[in-house]
Amino acid sequence: MPILRRKHHWGQALDNSTYVSLSLATALRREMDVAANNMANANTTGFKAERVVFSSYLHNDPAAATGDTNFLVDVGSYVDARQGALSQTGNLLDVALKGDGWFGYQTAQGQRAYGRDGSLAIDPQGNLVTLTGARILDIGGNPIALPPDVGADLTISRSGVISSLTNGVIGQIGVFGLPDLQAYERIGNGMFVAPDVVGIRPPVPDTVTEVIQGALEGSNIQPVVEMTRMMTIQKAYERAVQLMNSEDELRRDMLRRIGSPSG
Amino acid sequence: MKALGIAATGMLAQQTNVDVISNNIANANTTGFKSSRAAFQDLIYETQRREGSLTSDAGTLRPTGVDVGLGVQTVGTVRLNTQGGLLATENQLDLAIDGRGFFTVNLPDGGQAFTRDGAFQLSPEGQIVTLQGYELDPGIVLPENTVNIAVGETGTVMAYVENDPVPVDLGRITMATFVNEAGMRALGNNLLQATTASGDPLQANPGDPGVGIIRQGYLENSNVNIIQQITDLISAQRAYEMNSKAISTADQMMSTANQIR
Repeated sequence: MPILRRKHHWGQALDNSTYVSLSLATALRREMDVAANNMANANTTGFKAERVVFSSYLHNDPAAATGDTNFLVDVGSYVDARQGALSQTGNLLDVALKGDGWFGYQTAQGQRAYGRDGSLAIDPQGNLVTLTGARILDIGGNPIALPPDVGADLTISRSGVISSLTNGVIGQIGVFGLPDLQAYERIGNGMFVAPDVVGIRPPVPDTVTEVIQGALEGSNIQPVVEMTRMMTIQKAYERAVQLMNSEDELRRDMLRRIGSPSG
Repeated sequence: MKALGIAATGMLAQQTNVDVISNNIANANTTGFKSSRAAFQDLIYETQRREGSLTSDAGTLRPTGVDVGLGVQTVGTVRLNTQGGLLATENQLDLAIDGRGFFTVNLPDGGQAFTRDGAFQLSPEGQIVTLQGYELDPGIVLPENTVNIAVGETGTVMAYVENDPVPVDLGRITMATFVNEAGMRALGNNLLQATTASGDPLQANPGDPGVGIIRQGYLENSNVNIIQQITDLISAQRAYEMNSKAISTADQMMSTANQIR
């Protein structure tokens, strides 16, 4: 952060407090964007809220008489992976997860992704796909194809086994545990992809999470929490700007008193 | 400030949601109507600090990044293909499908459409047609002086002609099924069309494995669950309000920023 070390001719202390407020205001704007995105996705199937983490950035300048200065940095955002509410849809091809597991998808670009959106359809080749055409995978990482004559007796068990009376067992929807979920990158369409970094633990089969047919998992946004968070952000932003203004006031006052030749 | 645009995508999505719900409620008494649901997914994310980037010379990595999402999108309206309730009408030409499948209808332009609405009528020539006058395919023509017709569960059509105790076999009503019924395109007038997403129609006889049977003298009600629709409508309206609140908050923050001298 080179900008924080810049020195102005009218003194370190005044300068720093403006930049401390600026660091707060910048971080709050970003947090507001994240809050707005959470709220925009209040009805998105399987959506997980995003949260911003703040941390202080300690700047130690031995030359300054005031000593250490704390700046605010938004170091990261994390995924609130809590369970969303399940709602019954009655659609045979809607599945919801109850537990910490994730569905595995193969996107149209061939990328491996994970998500909790179980609103499924069948593509012209008979594969089980999401509404944006990403294929849902079994535990071995292969797409699941349904036979063309599969009827209304299609059942999906709690462990994800798809079967019908006429066809017997057709396949099993894979449920994965993601030990390093927080390191995953969000790519939209409710999907998370593993970052291209060494040391990320691979997904593991999850046998605890239940697959529920005929239901969808709603967004895990809590409207009251998001609204209060937004109000807090706005007030904190006003405070930060207020601080900058009073800082500016002080500086003007100083210049008027010291700078005027008449004294 | 991205929050303005993000909240706008949220308001747009809820508008679509309300449109879909209103259409469901409007069609609560439409024969063979299947209710739809607007499906949403989050838009792409802007990674402002990348996960796994180096944070020191010792090789420590940033465990999480800052991902700011850009809002929400409507990815489709999903038709809920569950069975609607059967309503006894006593009308001989009212046919309901109990199970999977569609009646095939010949459109005047030469194309074909599919429907679950079995409220059939007769054309002046004695042919079985829909309420719009489109022919049922395969075409079935009733002989003159028909007193009674009997449609079996497997689609066989028999006509009893005046003074003749032996019924006349008029052929069979077939069913069309699709791999992905949800991928069919709605044309209005209770008609659906095959698309590449739904796949080509598969011809079958009523009562075949996985195919529904025909019930004469019944009509299939819509499968709209009014209570569900009303609660969805309430939650859509609240979500709309919440997004407009996000817009006004972002606006106030920008006006605060403008006060900096």
